[in-house]
This record gives sequence, structure tokens and C-alpha cells, in this order.
Amino acid sequence: MSTETLTIGKALNLGLRRAMEDDAKVVLMGEDIGKLGGVFRITDGLQKDFGDDRVVDTPLAEAGILGTAVGLAMRGYRPVCEIQFDGFVFPAYNQIVTQVAKIHARSKGTMAMPIVIRIPFGGGIGAVEHHSESPEAYFAHTAGLKVVAVSNPVDAYWGIQQAIAHPDPIVFLEPKRRYWEKAPVDTDATPGPLFASRVVRGGDDVTVLAYGPMVKTALQAAEAAAEEGRSLEVIDLRTVSPLDLDPVYESVRRTGRCVVVHEAPVTLGLGAEIAARVTETCFHSLEAPVLRVGGYDTPYPPSKLEEEYLPDLDRVLDAVDRSMGF
Amino acid sequence: MTSSATLRQFKLPDVGEGLTEGEILQWLVAVGDTVTVNQPLCEVETAKAAVELPSPYAGTVTELLFEAGTMVDVGTPIITIDTGGGPAAPAAPAAPAAPAASGEEAEPEAGLIGGPAPGGRTSVLVGYGPRTTEARRRPRRAEPAEPAGADYGPGPGDRPPLLATAPDAGTKPMRHGGLEVGRQAEAHALQGEAATADGAPHGRGRLRPLAKPPVRKYAKDLGVDLTTITGSGAGGVITRADVDAAVSGATARPGEMAIAAGGAEREQRIPIKGVRKHTAAAMVASAFTAPHVTEFLTVDVTRMMKLRTRLAARPELAGVKVSPLLFVAKALLLAARRHPMVNSSWDEAAQEIVVKDYVNLGIAAATPRGLVVPNIKDAGRLSLAELAEAIGRLTETARAGKTAPEDMSGGTITITNVGVFGVDTGTPILNPGESAILAFGAVREMPWVHRGGSGGGKAKVVPRQVTQLALSFDHRIIDGELGSRFLADVGAMLHDPGAALAF
Amino acid sequence: MTALRETTEVVDPVPGADAPHLPQQPDLIQLLTPEGERVEHPDYSVDLSEDELRGLYRDLALVRRWDVEATALQRQGELGIWASLLGQEAAQVGAGRALRDGDMAFPTYREHGVAWTRGVDPLHVMGLFRGVDNGGWDPAATGFNLYTIVIGAQCLHATGYAMGVQRDGAESAVLAFLGDGATSQGEVNEAMIFAASFAAPVVFFCQNNQYAISVPLERQSRVPLYQRAAGFGFPGVRVDGNDVLAVLAVTRAALQAAREGQGPTFIEAFTYRMGAHTTSDDPTRYRLASELEEWKLRDPIARLKVYLSRSGLADQAFFDSVDADGDELAARIRSGTLELADPPGTSMFDHVYAEQTPELAAQRAEFEAYHASFEGGER
Repeated sequence: MSTETLTIGKALNLGLRRAMEDDAKVVLMGEDIGKLGGVFRITDGLQKDFGDDRVVDTPLAEAGILGTAVGLAMRGYRPVCEIQFDGFVFPAYNQIVTQVAKIHARSKGTMAMPIVIRIPFGGGIGAVEHHSESPEAYFAHTAGLKVVAVSNPVDAYWGIQQAIAHPDPIVFLEPKRRYWEKAPVDTDATPGPLFASRVVRGGDDVTVLAYGPMVKTALQAAEAAAEEGRSLEVIDLRTVSPLDLDPVYESVRRTGRCVVVHEAPVTLGLGAEIAARVTETCFHSLEAPVLRVGGYDTPYPPSKLEEEYLPDLDRVLDAVDRSMGF
Repeated sequence: MTSSATLRQFKLPDVGEGLTEGEILQWLVAVGDTVTVNQPLCEVETAKAAVELPSPYAGTVTELLFEAGTMVDVGTPIITIDTGGGPAAPAAPAAPAAPAASGEEAEPEAGLIGGPAPGGRTSVLVGYGPRTTEARRRPRRAEPAEPAGADYGPGPGDRPPLLATAPDAGTKPMRHGGLEVGRQAEAHALQGEAATADGAPHGRGRLRPLAKPPVRKYAKDLGVDLTTITGSGAGGVITRADVDAAVSGATARPGEMAIAAGGAEREQRIPIKGVRKHTAAAMVASAFTAPHVTEFLTVDVTRMMKLRTRLAARPELAGVKVSPLLFVAKALLLAARRHPMVNSSWDEAAQEIVVKDYVNLGIAAATPRGLVVPNIKDAGRLSLAELAEAIGRLTETARAGKTAPEDMSGGTITITNVGVFGVDTGTPILNPGESAILAFGAVREMPWVHRGGSGGGKAKVVPRQVTQLALSFDHRIIDGELGSRFLADVGAMLHDPGAALAF
Repeated sequence: MTALRETTEVVDPVPGADAPHLPQQPDLIQLLTPEGERVEHPDYSVDLSEDELRGLYRDLALVRRWDVEATALQRQGELGIWASLLGQEAAQVGAGRALRDGDMAFPTYREHGVAWTRGVDPLHVMGLFRGVDNGGWDPAATGFNLYTIVIGAQCLHATGYAMGVQRDGAESAVLAFLGDGATSQGEVNEAMIFAASFAAPVVFFCQNNQYAISVPLERQSRVPLYQRAAGFGFPGVRVDGNDVLAVLAVTRAALQAAREGQGPTFIEAFTYRMGAHTTSDDPTRYRLASELEEWKLRDPIARLKVYLSRSGLADQAFFDSVDADGDELAARIRSGTLELADPPGTSMFDHVYAEQTPELAAQRAEFEAYHASFEGGER
């Protein structure tokens, strides 16, 4: 039993290290990940130990990173691409959607794309434009990709390893505002499955769903609600595509109410898909429509307005109140 | 083949008051008829009246797009007319190899972009090209075949079998997009087979009773606790009938229709639409915006009734009906001249009270379609005969259901004659946009304390013609004193018509 | 059909004809003139046996025969489209024959001539254009990637693959095919940046067939394409794309340089797209018939036939046997294409992921049940 208290960033670093030790075919690629160790230090120390053939400082070209990763994957390697910030994934979007996502199907299974695309995502860091996006819907809507969002150091440590070992391409979303939050991680444990959601707090009144950075927000909302005599059940979705909604359905059949929270804009965000599925599957158990809390349908605002844009504890509890009011 | 057909469509216009829908009462033309400009095409009922729609086109009717009795949104085409002169030729289905229809630029060659391609398709750069599909459903099997390798779970009764489970081991298929799996999962859940993650915390609540949202609300409104009901629907779902049964106290047994004391068979459901819908909305708007106060005055109108006979004989009033209502109307008009504030309206948006110099006198009328309040424009300027004539015309038109929309808008003050029903009085609700309404009750023979000799003689109790007036007013604009004075003035003129000379 | 027949016949070239599009020597590497004469080049040469030379002719003739048959099949509605390589046979066969076992080629969607040299069954290519799949051959087994329809995307794949070869320490080289239009795509430029920065063993083989659908070369680049390579820091050469010997020589040399760790080369094969972009394109809308006529005089197959005849390396019997092989190939392609079966509907679901998701498995089952519910059963 080896338990250390790790930040999410450090957990990712150790997870990457372990994955590279386990499989010589794992190659990290990205801007500034080698010498600098990454702008968030996630890949700190790895180039020194594994060499610049396996930890590659690429030219400044996201499409180039993903496109060459495709070629490396065809040659039998397991590329782990870092996109430096969520807002910069778009130049790579062509390669991701037209090539990474489709090659397995195009080749009828003869060419696998075991590529992990690591993206620090979400807001709350007071940044300039393009550094606070939540683009998960664009990828979840693309057949052939899988999308995972970790919320805590334990899931970060195990999730990155599982994603690297997985045969399909995975967009691996890391909650950058939470990079420095700590928790104990047992590095000898046996992890649960990667594509599974998890109930992280039990409750009876409303089922609250969240992923990535909003899980902590949802848990804080549940704490505050408890003081008001309301009991919220919080579920960390953990996997955005495929969705694992079994635990959600089970929960909603008890609570009758559901609220989904994400930073991404409400319209056509993951909440919309989840609302449709929960409504269809739990129709006769619903006391209230599934409500969604998300960003507004505007470009992410300048940092001075960030806290008014992002869902927070009050916005979550507002939705809970509305749900209870039906 | 050339065609001279020019098909025009007539969209349901907004016939007044910004209404959003209207019901087509009846068509006045049929497919194939030749129509002229302005010829009435149909009768449409809006919230306020039945209106004939005149044709904007001359030509031949090719299509009536809605049946009589249908509610149609304003702006929707309701009729197609061929104005091209000839009978409308139906468009020939595009055969890919057909030559160009009307001498425009030649169709592209076969095999080039836009040209015909094999299989009835049209050529594109990147593939076979589009083809026209038939608008027909594929015939279904009588009994669904078993898909190869299907593994059936326990399905509910004789319903179609459930989907096959996933082929890979260890993963449970959770299909979205299907009622069957949802029901199945619910049935499992009810049997206590809820899935739990290992060691994961979750609430200890029981499973909710199953009911559709409308039923849930129905039960809540009736105060029925769903957890006390056993549902008779598939999978244990509680139905509306189950709730009704619970309300009536009968025991609902699963699988049986509850034999309820109440129940749908003894209720009639009338759709809320048309005049009633509009009237209701107006009443709600009025009642919950303006603070209403009603004051009552009982008046001895014996002298007025005697005057009525004498006036009716005068040549000025030959041919018009001299009714008690006419007197009330005239008295109100005169009193309003003295108290202009009763003839005003509260403009919330502009934060102003609009005092009008003209009286558009509304007379509430019961029509076959419901209550309508047409008004007589600038009634204060009319002579008694003109007023009588206007009232007569207005009443007749309203009864026939043909009141024009402009006659129903712009009213400034209203009289409601509840007396014709034999009713004494009431607490009328203001017509929205007005600040006073006068209810005029039946004229009855009642015992009354009467002093003979113009009020100077001995008091006796004698039968007199007595009526009650009720004035409701908007207390934001009209205070008690004003309302009272106004009502008193009206009453004074009805009691002693000669007093009108002083106004 | 008349127009096609004209270009498939071998036409004796007019000696000395001046072709305005053809750039002058020494930039254009040539070993076999349009008139069928062997010429020397200071930097490039081929040393081929007679069998090999006759083999090249056979390759060219059969590839063209396949292309003609496929075009006909499309006109008859048996293929959705066909991307004809008419006129580009030498560029593709020459490049393809330069590859060794273990090398990997990354085509666009027109390299049927390269597919031929890599041993890909033509019916696997036909399946793509018929719409039964996205390419039925195995890239690893053939050393020939599936076709990439997104313009230029495969160049990055080729560079990445070459970076993998480096890490393996293997002696393979990678050949990335692209057209003149693709050189404008950002990703193609990124591929060349990565290739240069990492000295990856990849050769960029650009068939400049003068048009990107209807847009002429002048709109893509203000400098000759082969000179672009200098901007990225590696050599660029221009070869007469209709000269199979020169293409073979140049490509071999470039691949060898890559193998030896010298990094990438950019080869511009100067050629012409004699047919349309795809079968329903109408080239008369954007180019003159006179241009087509001039390029007929530089036909890749004609010049080789003349050379083989005049130098006694092949006789009429040989040419007849090649024709017969062509007819047989065409017949096989025709009948095979007509027999290509529509895939089962469920195949849509089967290879989306290496590890199927429960959702998709359920959706697949739903699809099966839905189709089983109709008369006529499962599709």
C-alpha cells in the first residue's frame, strides 16, 4: 500500500511516467513538454529520463502534432499528444475528426489509433482569450473518439494510464483550474474501469451530475444544501463519451430530480444529451424536468467577468431549488 | 409543355386587434370555382367576431388548405388560387432525361454535374448523385422476425422482444432511445434489482412511484399521494384513471379499469378557444390589474318609465326603440361630461392617465358566441334619436355575430344591462382600458316610500318602478367621492329626467 | 466514348514540337524524351534489364487499361465516381517501382498506378469508388496506405510514420504522394516542417498535373513547386512526370537518401491530368482543347513504346500480348466490380472502435431489430 498525497498535476506526471516505463512504444509529443516540462509542469522531468525521442518538443503546429501522431500510430507507437490549451485544439480538429476518429473504421479494423490527446480544459484561471474553453461536445459528437474528463488526483493517476493503454483514441480532458488540488492516491491499488461514472456523494432529493472541474463545485453545493436540509446525490460522470448513465438512472429513480452541471455553454452541451436520455429512460420517475446549469451562450468572457460566467455553487443550488419547486 | 398556371396563396390575415389565430367557420367557395377580386372566400371567427375574408385574387380555386372548423394561425396560407387563367396544371415529376421545360438554358449533358446520371440520379462531382425517393412506407412484417443471435430478457407479456444484449462480456448494454428498455429497467428496478456501484455511497430513498408527468401533476393538484396507489399501467405505472379511482375511494386493482363514481364518462370537455378564450383573457387582465370598487344605488324610476311612453310618441323618436337602456345611456353620457375622469384610462407604460374628450360608449351584449362589448363612437355627440338608433343597430349586429372588429375597440366606458335577464344588480368587471362600468338591473315594481306632491307631502309606502345601478370603477383613477357623485348624478337623472336639463 | 478512345491509342509524336507548358532543361530531369529517345542526365541514371524495361511498359499499359475500364463502368452507373489517372501513369508507376519491400506509400485518392505496383488488387480500389467500403486492402500487408480524401492530410501521416521508422532504426523509407493543389494546404506545409526538423526518412512526391479540379497551378504557387523545398531546408527536384525512367531514377535516389538519414526530398513530377478531376467534372469549362492536344504529344506510354520498338527491346508480339493482358484485366475488373456485394448494414457499427462501447452495441442491435421488422427481412 503506497499512498502519497498528490496534486492532479503531479498525479498525471507520475501516471505518465509509469505508462512510459510499462511500454516502450509510448511517445509524448507536444509544445514545450520536453525541456520546459510543459506550461503546467505536467511532463516535468520526463524528457531527462526517457530521452527526446520519447518526449518530443514539436514545432508549433497542432495539426502537425496530431497528423504525425497518426503516422506513428500506424507504425505501432502509442502517441500521447499534449494540446497546450483547450482553445488551441482547433487547428488539430481536422486531423482529429477526419483522420484519428475514422481510420479504424475506414480500415475495417486493420489500423488502430491508440492516441491520447491530453487537453487542459475549462476556465477559472483568470486567463486571456482562448485559454478557458470547454470543447468536449465537439469531440463527444464525433463517432470514433472517446472522451474522458478526470476531476481528482486518483482518477488522474489511473485514468491517464488506462487511456494510454486503451486501443481507441481518447480525448483526455484535464481540469486545469484544479491542477494544484491534492488528495491521497494509493499507487498500488487496482483502479476501477475508465469508462464508468461514480456516485461521489449520496443523497435523496436531487441527483446532480458533473464532470471535470465542476465536480468540486457540485460537492460544495451539496455541502451548502445539506445545511439547508436538502440532500443532494452527486455523480461524477468521469466519461463523457461513451456516457455511463446506469448509476444516474438508478439515482433518478430514487430522487426523481436531476440537474446537470458543466462549464461549457448550455445550448447543445453534454447536458442536453444527458437530459434527453434521462427523460427517455426515467420518464415515469421524474418529478421535474432535467435541468442544466452551464456557461452562457456567449464566447468566454474577459477574465474580469469570468466568475459571473462560470457556474458556481449558487447557480447549482438555484437549479436545485427550481427542480424542487416543480 | 408550357403552363399558364400562376398559383397564388392567400394567407390568413390579422383581422384586427393583433390576434394570432382564427377558426375557419365555413368555406364560401369550392375547388374549381371561379372567383373575382373581393369575393368572400370564407367566414373566419376570431376572438371577437365572425369575419368574411374577401379574395385578393381573381382566378380559379385549386386548393382549400384547411377544413371548416379548423383553428389556423395568422399568416398561414389557407387557399390556393390559380390566377393564370387556365386550370392549374400539376407539375410534371422531373424525369432526369427530360428536355428543358420552358426554353431556358439547356440541361447539362448526361454525366456532367447537374445532368442525368444512371439510376434516375443527378450527377455530382463526388458520387452517384441524389435520387428522388418514393414517399411510401415500407411494408412491415406481421410478426417481427428474430434477429440472429438475439438473447431475450424477460419481456413484458406479449410485447415485441427486447433488443439483444451486447456481445462483449462483462459490459451491460444500456441502450438509449427506446421505451422498451426503459420499461424493462423500471420493471427490474421495481423488483429491487437496482444496480449499485461497489462501495459507492448513495441515498437510501426508495424508488419513486412511476407516473407520467401530467399524471403526477394531476395527483398533486388533487392531493393524492402516489405512493399509496398501485399502478395499473405496464410496469406498474400509475395512470390518470388510477388517480381518479383513488380520489373516488374505489380500490384500484392492477389490470382492471377502476369503476369510479366520477370519471371521464360524465364530464364534457369543451376546448377553450374563440370568443370565450379572448373574453376570459380580457377579464383576467382587467380584474387583476385595476383595483375594483363597486358602489350601488337603488333608484325610483317611475317618472322615467312614464316619460318613456310620452317620448316614444314624439316624431324625432319615431321608428327607434325608446328603452330604459336608452335613458341610462343618456344619463351616463351627461354625467360623464360633468365628471370626465370616469371616462379615462390608466396607461401603465407611459405612467399617465389618459382623459378622453369623447365617449365611446360600450354596451355589453350577449351573443351566441359569448359576451362581446361593441361601442358607439363619440356617443356624447349623438341626439337621443341617433343614440337610440345606434343602440338598436349595435344590439342587432352583435346578436347576429357580425360585429366588426373596429366596433369592439376603443371603448371608453361601458353599460352592462343585466336587467334584461331579470337580475337586480351585480359587481361588473371593467372592460380593459376603461375605468368605469355601470350595471343596470331589472326595473321592478317594489314597495317604496314616496312623498307625493313633488316630495313635500306625506310619506306613504306605495308600489313604484325601482331599479338598481351598480358602478364598478378603477380605484387608481376614481376615488370614492368621484364614483359616488357620478353614480348619484346618473341616478338623479333616472329618478327625475328633468334634472338632465341641468347637465 | 470517342474522346477516350483517342487518348488510349498510341500516337506517334511530332518531333521537335514546342510545348508551351513544358519547362526547359536542366531543371526538368529527363531520361526519355517525348519522341522516345534515351538521353543522359549528369545526376541521374537507370540501369534496367530488358525484362525490367518491358515490365515497365506492361505496367503502364495495364494501368491505363484499368483506368479506361473504370471510367466506362462509372458512366454505366456501376461506380459512384472514378478519379482517373489518365496521363499520369508514368509518374505513378515510376515512383511505385522505386519502392522496396518494407517501404510505405501514402497515396491521395488517384494513385491507382502506385497501388498496382504495390500488389493491391484493383477490385479493392474499385470497392471504394463503388461505395461498398473505404478501401478494401490491408495497408500493412501491401505497404500502401488507404486512400485519403482530405487533401494533404496524408502527408503528416507519412512524416509521422517516418518518425516511427527512425525510432525503430529500420532501413525503410516513406513516400508521401500529393498533388499541386495540396501544396497550399497548411497541413502539408506542417508535414514538411516536421520532416525537416526531425530529418525524417520521407520523400514528398508531388504530381503536378497542372490543375486542382479547375484551378490552375499559378493560383497555388508563385514559384515552381520544386523550389518550395528550399524554404523548408531540404532538396527539391523537378522531373518529367511522363518519363517513367526519370521518375524511377529520381525517386530511387531520393528514397535512398532518406534511408541513409539525409532527411526528406521534394520531387515535383511535371505531368498533366488528361482526364477530368472525377468523372462528372467538365474540363472544357476551364481549359482549352489545344492544351490537351499538346500534352497528347508527350504521352508517357507512347514514348516508351517507340523506344522499345526502335531499340529492338520489344516486338509486335509483345505489344499484342500486353494488349491481351489488358483485355483480360479489364474483363476481370468489370465482372468483379459488378459482383461486389453491398455490405450488411450492421457493418457500419462493427469497426468504429477497437473496443466496442455498450451504447453502440445496443444501437447496432436496435438497427438489426428495426430492419428485421420489415417484409423482406434483414438487409
